Amino acid sequence: MAERLANRLRDLRSELDLTQAALAEKVGVSRKTINTVENGVFIPSTLLALRLARALGCPVEAIFSLED
Amino acid sequence: MTESDFETADRLSRRRAWLLPVLAILFLSGQAIYALGPHWASRSLDQLKVAGWLLWAATLLFLLATGGAPFRSRRIRALLDDEATRQHRARAYAFGFWIAVGTAMGIYLLTAFDEVKPRESIHIIVTAAIAGALLTFGILEHRAHRDG
Repeated sequence: MAERLANRLRDLRSELDLTQAALAEKVGVSRKTINTVENGVFIPSTLLALRLARALGCPVEAIFSLED
Repeated sequence: MTESDFETADRLSRRRAWLLPVLAILFLSGQAIYALGPHWASRSLDQLKVAGWLLWAATLLFLLATGGAPFRSRRIRALLDDEATRQHRARAYAFGFWIAVGTAMGIYLLTAFDEVKPRESIHIIVTAAIAGALLTFGILEHRAHRDG
């Protein structure tokens, strides 16, 4: 069964009025990494996923979900 | 207005994304010196060419492995070597490995028809692997920046 990781990072970031660069700064990664996660090109590690959740003030499950 | 570490890292990362492939192409095209150079060249000139190639190859490997900003602060270097970059580098290494194996197999096949000296073989394999890895890394980094 092919599963894909869906993410709502772009939506959640926009809701908080954060640019990619601002979120990157809060998380401590490059803007490029935020960009690749939003585009589904890069699947972040658990550590980075947790840091993103903390920066956005929501649980990890609100950002990432499995897409069948 | 001074640039923040994040802005500096972003600028350097973008520069690296196009610079590394350019260096890879220059490295590849520079090999014409070895392939087309005069066969009557003196031994000292030959040694100079070998040393030059080794230095060039080692520098490119260093740039690929370290991210290419050795004199920047630890924070900027960390941003230039974050998760996405490390994944791109891992994929570039893997691609370089397959190029090295493919090139080595091609040379092995060629030895059935023609003589290929060990040093020439190593030169071709290493050149192809490094250039392939650099191009792959640059393309992945370029795409990561572009799709924003």
